[in-house]
Amino acid sequence: MSILLWGACIILLGGASASLFRRRITAGDRLFAGLLAAGCLLGATPAVTVLRGAPTMSASLQGSLPGGPWSFALDPLSAWFVLVILLPGAAAGVYGATYLAAERAHRNVAAVHALFAVLIVALIGVVTAQAMMPFLVAWEVMALSAYLLVVFESERAEVRRAGLVYIVLTHLSTLALIGMFAAMSAHAGGNTFADFASGSRASGSGRTLVFALALFGFGIKAGAVPMHFWLPGAHAAAPSHVSALLSGVMLKMGIYGLLRVVGLLGPAPLWFGWVLFGLGLASGVLGVLWALAQHDLKRMLAYHSVENVGIILLGMGVGVLGVASGQPVVAVLGFTGAVLHTMNHALFKSLLFLGAGAVVQATGTRVIDQLGGLGRRMPLTATAFGVGSLAIVGLPPFNGFISEWLVFRGLLSSAGSHEGVRFAVLGAGGLALIGGLALACFSKLDGVLFLGQSRAPSRGEREVREPGAGMVGPMLGLAAACVVIGFLPVVVLAPAQLVVESVLETAVGGIAGSGEWTELATRLSTVAFGVLAVVTVLLLARGLLGRARNARTVDTWACAGPPLSSRMQYGASSYAAPLLASFGPLPGVLEVREATAFHTHLVDPVQDGAVLPVWWALGRLTGRLRGWQGGRIRWYLVLVIATLLGLLFYLMQWKGAP
Amino acid sequence: MEGRAVTFSPLVSLVAVLAAAPALPGIATRTRAFLTGRRGTPVLQLYADLGKLVRKNVVYSRTTTPVFRIGPIIVVATVLVAATLLPLDGHQALLSFSGDLVAFAGLLGLGRFALVLAGLDTGSSFEGMGASREVTISTFAEPVLFLCFTVLVLATGDLTLAGMLGERLSAIWSTAMPSLALTGVGFFMLALAETSRVPVDDPATHLELTMIHEVIVLDHSGPELAMILFGNAAKLALFAVLVVSVLVPRGLLPPWLAVLALLVGLVVVAIGIGVVEASMARLRLNRVPQFLVAAGALAVVGVILLLR
Amino acid sequence: MSGLHELLLLCVVLTNFWLLGTTRLSSAIRATALQGALLASLPIALHPGWSLHILGLAGGTFLVKAVILPTFLRWAIREAAVRREIEPLIGFSASLTLGAVAVALSFAIAAHIPLPESNSALLIPVALSTVIVGLLVLTTRNKALTQVVGYLVLENGIYVFGLSQAERVPFLVEVGVLLDIFVGIFIMGIVVFHINRAFDSLDSTRLTELKD
Repeated sequence: MSILLWGACIILLGGASASLFRRRITAGDRLFAGLLAAGCLLGATPAVTVLRGAPTMSASLQGSLPGGPWSFALDPLSAWFVLVILLPGAAAGVYGATYLAAERAHRNVAAVHALFAVLIVALIGVVTAQAMMPFLVAWEVMALSAYLLVVFESERAEVRRAGLVYIVLTHLSTLALIGMFAAMSAHAGGNTFADFASGSRASGSGRTLVFALALFGFGIKAGAVPMHFWLPGAHAAAPSHVSALLSGVMLKMGIYGLLRVVGLLGPAPLWFGWVLFGLGLASGVLGVLWALAQHDLKRMLAYHSVENVGIILLGMGVGVLGVASGQPVVAVLGFTGAVLHTMNHALFKSLLFLGAGAVVQATGTRVIDQLGGLGRRMPLTATAFGVGSLAIVGLPPFNGFISEWLVFRGLLSSAGSHEGVRFAVLGAGGLALIGGLALACFSKLDGVLFLGQSRAPSRGEREVREPGAGMVGPMLGLAAACVVIGFLPVVVLAPAQLVVESVLETAVGGIAGSGEWTELATRLSTVAFGVLAVVTVLLLARGLLGRARNARTVDTWACAGPPLSSRMQYGASSYAAPLLASFGPLPGVLEVREATAFHTHLVDPVQDGAVLPVWWALGRLTGRLRGWQGGRIRWYLVLVIATLLGLLFYLMQWKGAP
Repeated sequence: MEGRAVTFSPLVSLVAVLAAAPALPGIATRTRAFLTGRRGTPVLQLYADLGKLVRKNVVYSRTTTPVFRIGPIIVVATVLVAATLLPLDGHQALLSFSGDLVAFAGLLGLGRFALVLAGLDTGSSFEGMGASREVTISTFAEPVLFLCFTVLVLATGDLTLAGMLGERLSAIWSTAMPSLALTGVGFFMLALAETSRVPVDDPATHLELTMIHEVIVLDHSGPELAMILFGNAAKLALFAVLVVSVLVPRGLLPPWLAVLALLVGLVVVAIGIGVVEASMARLRLNRVPQFLVAAGALAVVGVILLLR
Repeated sequence: MSGLHELLLLCVVLTNFWLLGTTRLSSAIRATALQGALLASLPIALHPGWSLHILGLAGGTFLVKAVILPTFLRWAIREAAVRREIEPLIGFSASLTLGAVAVALSFAIAAHIPLPESNSALLIPVALSTVIVGLLVLTTRNKALTQVVGYLVLENGIYVFGLSQAERVPFLVEVGVLLDIFVGIFIMGIVVFHINRAFDSLDSTRLTELKD
């Protein structure tokens, strides 16, 4: 545990070093990257030890701290999430040192590095906290440092707006969490998680409120539909390596919270499972549909995070349904899929955002329809991005497939349940739809970005270059992780199962260890290696065949007409148009037709259709209260005194001693 | 002895099915021609085409990258590995594990992804258009595939393809007939969609603007084109295997008889495809999703029948 | 020494009345300074042990409440050149009466509010009455400086309340309260300065622009 603390200190030191070395900036950046990576690796070591079966480590700060002693612990669930934080965090931090190097002249890059380090440490605090106060303090620090990072380019109006929406929603989430903790501590003796757990077991009342508030509070943070609309703006506005951390890691704090609540409170009710199931399905389908419609590269990736959070919630929903209906197999499968997808998504989403950052920095634009042909100029970036795309679509032999396979198995296994829960098998069709849409979206993205020719040749392809080693290295590292997990799932399946057992042990009363995991992992590896083997054989055969042949190179076939120009290539919006049209008004694509042109205007149906109208109506309503603002200080003070006396009176009458 | 016999028949049946695969498009085309009053191409034409293409030179487009060259290889590789998951001899598959149906769908998806990227690599508007249509169709085809598999899971209670399509299925075949019939029709419609036959796409058309699958591979030539054609034929064979396995309880037969029945069934399915192609016109492009939603509806009815 | 703290608390109530009744600003500030001194000696009276912690706390409180803040306010008076208070909203005699009512009310309320055991039965009523008197001054006086004094008295009341709720005075609460005061005074000082400079007057009835 103390090693983790040392790691956190080194990370903070790294963040500070960027500011301290203002004169020798390169040294400062390198020191930041080095210390961050070292701190993350150091902090990951105790996590790995716990995940391999070591007992839980704990530490606590005694003394007259508000809310009782502040205790921290590293149990399997925390350890798993510590790894989810540190691995992408290290990659994004090292990447960020090089990425922001170009902006040093006109921005406060040192502050970004410092805040980045603070954010990582706050995230570690959230997942290791074992009492109410340290959790809330770490949560707030995390939210605020993320806000400051999001509004990095605050001279742009849309960045400020995105930051505003984000900060409002994250505080709504904190409010819900405070309420949730209050509800939990009302039945418990103290303020630590252990007290909450024993308190909820003693009395069953109030659990509905706790679950509902947890769903709302953690759902906002995770970005589940319909509470997701802060996500696209905030993740698109932040610098790319920060977006990687926000999308890949910070969203998972919502997932962590839900898992922790389920673990603490014991058997969750059936309605909770169905709500998670529904939220997951809705987030998955709608998220990827909205992603398909986007023109902006980073907004598209942000909406894909909504989709993947949906898949995780789907897995959790099935798991809770399994617990509530007494089906341990379904529960284990669902939760393991959710937990594993958390890690996988952290890895490949960070990879995708880092790649997107490289593309945006090299070409200067985020609009997909203006890019093209980047694969020749940036082969390493293209390869890494390709690996990330294959992983996020859930295709074998990469890591996304493994976790989606688990969720599928969980959904299909619920066929053996009793009435009602059996209908969860239809979720398999929904998950397949999500996968199909994701395939469409990423084939579009990869094809339009990296293949073909550049769609804006006026910019000049000579300017586009592969980014430096400081940026390519982390990307390739994350890609390698995706490949390793995909080919050798046994590496993560055993720890994931340990995590699930530690969460469910309190809920189901112990599940017999499923020894078949190793065998299944071997079969999955066989599939992956089989594909690799056949591909290799075919390549060799092709090579042998083609050795004596001459390959000619000509222009692309244009049906015997004049050669195709780069502007004739299929665009991203056209590629997605037939698919989006099949879904009617759901994707939120509005066509605006003018006399000689038409363009599409994208709206977020939840934000622009539901939340904003309510917001404006509320504004109009409260505007009528403006009459109370006389402008005189005395009147305001009288109001304050009146409220105070009123409260005292209330205390006397209804709560006082007789 | 037992161990060798265990893997022997699946291996033999795999080789047999793959060897027979290129004949299926020929049978379908010949049937269609016959029904529309023509003679049509020979049934074994595709074998000749493959042999010819393998010996030919290859032409690459200037715009392409290695993605273009590796696409067809991945297509064939994924189809081959997917084939090992099916119980072709009615009892066992070469590779089987719980939940391997997800791997089956995933492998086909990987092949599709590679094919689409290879098409987009050329920077041609035709390939882009074909790729766009292909992913539109496949987005609706994936859920249908899973819904059909869901019916099988509910009916047999088994999560392995070897069980769902093999012995377990034969055991409960008579009791779940209605749902299985619906599933069979669903698989058939999927076969039409995935291998681009009428009413989804017309393999005999020569207008690039109306093609879906044909136009994605417009720039491939020589051995790569051979691999793509073989991959397509093999995919057709796999889906035909699904149809036959659902409609015929082969698990009750000894392995060699089951393989024989399978081959006969494949021929029957190919003839059926020919009949459908001769009697229907190709659908308008924006009606194709509706076609697949109809297939999905059939599968959902099958699921509901088993859930009650 | 149990009688000592009750005596101290009684003196605090008397300083409240002094504050309500005086018309001169410097007199009001003196009342506040005395109140601060009394409050500084309260922890020593409540906890008979002469620990370093309590002595340090008492010394610090004395320094801030009885020395630094009144000095700062006197400097502000010199800078703004004000002497007398103009007629407040409810008149001085009425203020005094209201103050007495407030004390009575506090004793009545304190008996009924559900609070945990405190060190002395007098602490909570005195705290409440000081808070009310502070609010009264804040609301009814016209000069901005007097309102600052009222705010200080309010803070004193909260401080007494804090004293009543702890076995040992929690360091964190104390630091929080003192910091609070400091920041408040600082801001108010700056505001007073700027108000005077901008409007050439510290009459807060002329500040009516604080609205949307």
